Amino acid sequence: MPEDAISAAGVRKTYRARGQPPVEALSGVSLRVGRGERVSLLGRNGAGKTTFLRIASTLLMPSSGRVEVFGRDVVRDPEGVRPLIAVVPQEGKPFFHLTPREQIYTYLRSRGFQRETAKSRTEEALGLMALEEVADRLNATLSGGQKQRAMVATVIATQAPLLFLDEPTIGLDPFARRGVWESLRRLTRMGSTILLTTHYLDEADVLSDRLYVIDRGQVVGQGTSEDLKRSTGGTLRVSFRGPFPDAKALRAEVQGTGRIMEDDQSLHIITSPERMEELLAIALRRKLAATVGPVTLEEAFLRLVGRSIEGEEHVGS
Amino acid sequence: MSGAEASFPPLDVTTGARSLRSRWQGARGFTETEVRVQTHETLALATSMIVQTVFIVFVWLLDRSILPFAMVGAVIFSVFQIGERVTNEAAYIRIDHRLTELYHASPLTPEAYFLGIAAGIMIAYLPPVVVLVVLAEIVHPMGLLAAGVFALSLVAIWLFAASLGYTFSTLFHDSRAIWPYSSLFYNAFGVLPPVFYPFVVWKAIIPAAVVPAGLLVPPSAAAALITWAEGLTPLSTGEVLTAAGSLTFFALATFAFAVHWARRMAREP
Ligand SMILES: Nc1ncnc2c1ncn2[C@@H]1O[C@H](COP(=O)(O)OP(=O)(O)OP(=O)(O)O)[C@@H](O)[C@H]1O
Ligand SMILES: [Mg+2]
Repeated sequence: MPEDAISAAGVRKTYRARGQPPVEALSGVSLRVGRGERVSLLGRNGAGKTTFLRIASTLLMPSSGRVEVFGRDVVRDPEGVRPLIAVVPQEGKPFFHLTPREQIYTYLRSRGFQRETAKSRTEEALGLMALEEVADRLNATLSGGQKQRAMVATVIATQAPLLFLDEPTIGLDPFARRGVWESLRRLTRMGSTILLTTHYLDEADVLSDRLYVIDRGQVVGQGTSEDLKRSTGGTLRVSFRGPFPDAKALRAEVQGTGRIMEDDQSLHIITSPERMEELLAIALRRKLAATVGPVTLEEAFLRLVGRSIEGEEHVGS
Repeated sequence: MSGAEASFPPLDVTTGARSLRSRWQGARGFTETEVRVQTHETLALATSMIVQTVFIVFVWLLDRSILPFAMVGAVIFSVFQIGERVTNEAAYIRIDHRLTELYHASPLTPEAYFLGIAAGIMIAYLPPVVVLVVLAEIVHPMGLLAAGVFALSLVAIWLFAASLGYTFSTLFHDSRAIWPYSSLFYNAFGVLPPVFYPFVVWKAIIPAAVVPAGLLVPPSAAAALITWAEGLTPLSTGEVLTAAGSLTFFALATFAFAVHWARRMAREP
């Protein structure tokens, strides 16, 4: 039996539509997801996450490259793959004219579950996604987040060996998000494997065993959350809050203390504990508000997808 | 929490070529889904009867002698129109809800998914059809032969209309764009040929070269066959065979193609 739930090598995808220029969405993605792992794909809008998920879940033909799911080629043997997977599509919506209870139950039935199993799984999934109160209302009347929860509940109820979840927590409140995290952890404890995408980096941090960062159709970073954070070159982030009367001079002064990142209002320096004193002295001298915190996945992400505007070199390139 | 006893196929199962039975297995579960979805739309059930009711009322007022034809036509038209609902529903849940992805990335085969929609919508729209059949029986009592021909023809019309509708639905990227086409198609082919009116009238008003079309187009072929079995339409043996052959051919050919097409379109190229 293969060790990997997913192994992808050199996956390319170019969308071609008549009368429109071709779009290269994936340009050689290779990645692997081990059995029982929770792996997240990160990347900016249009990076190619959904494209990869759809290829690996047999819903989209790759232009070239190879993807195996539990050792089965998704192109040659989609029928061998499909019984092993379940998918939460991006922007999927439940049947408006079913209730969450009906939706989950009928989906399980169409996947071939016996009545009794389908019934107990349905109740369980409703509980996990905290949908009991709305379980018998038509999906059309649910709030946006409740609809999304109904979609996630439908798919986690399958307990399929491999689950693809494309932005499963979009629009969910902080409690509901935690409910999803807990359900996904529970599924992997029971032996399922999970590949998901998310734009919430805190979520990716606490939920993933490993992550892949995709940018313009290529893997530009991978590893555990700690690996990625370490790749920023420091463990602490010192932020000076602007606006700065003399930004140029400030930049010159902090040069060399660490990796500098800027956004519209603040200057962030990714640094090590040894350089702290130096940086705080600058803040005191210039009477700037400064905050210190651990490096987060966000810094790693921004660095990898090339948004940082560091002095000398353009990182991520 | 009954997590551990997962009943998905174990990983070491060799699926290889799936048995014929397992290919269609999930269709029942999905049919159930579609029946529930459709029956929430009671108003749509009522509006599905508008055209037929209008025709029946006019015939009733203007010329009761062709009422038995209009009744048979109304039943055929109702079943034929299931194709339009299949088109719209399949496009809607694929494009607007992306639910098709949920079902395709699952043990349910694409052909079972297609059959599920076709059967679910047929079952949901059956009650008004049954009412019309009862009325047809009252207007002109059927013998055993006619009843058999009637039943078989309706199955063929359903297969033809639903298969065509499902295939058609996959060609669009916008579910709104599909409505005018499906409406035009199913209304034109359900109304223009001799479905609601006698085949002899068609023969009388249409250029001779085009007359056989009335026996080739499935809805009017069904109408000709049923009213022939009822003793209302005189047909030569050749005409009977033409109509029966055409109906059978179209039903089976479009169904086979829809199965092939559903499997092919399960994955976007
Ligand atoms: N059907 C399509 N036809 C043409 N181009 C497409 C199609 N689907 C996606 N693309 C393009 O392919 C690229 C990757 O899209 P994809 O949906 O995979 O991105 P993503 O990483 O999932 O983004 P997001 O975070 O916004 O969901 C984008 O440039 C997108 O515009
Ligand atoms: Mg996406």
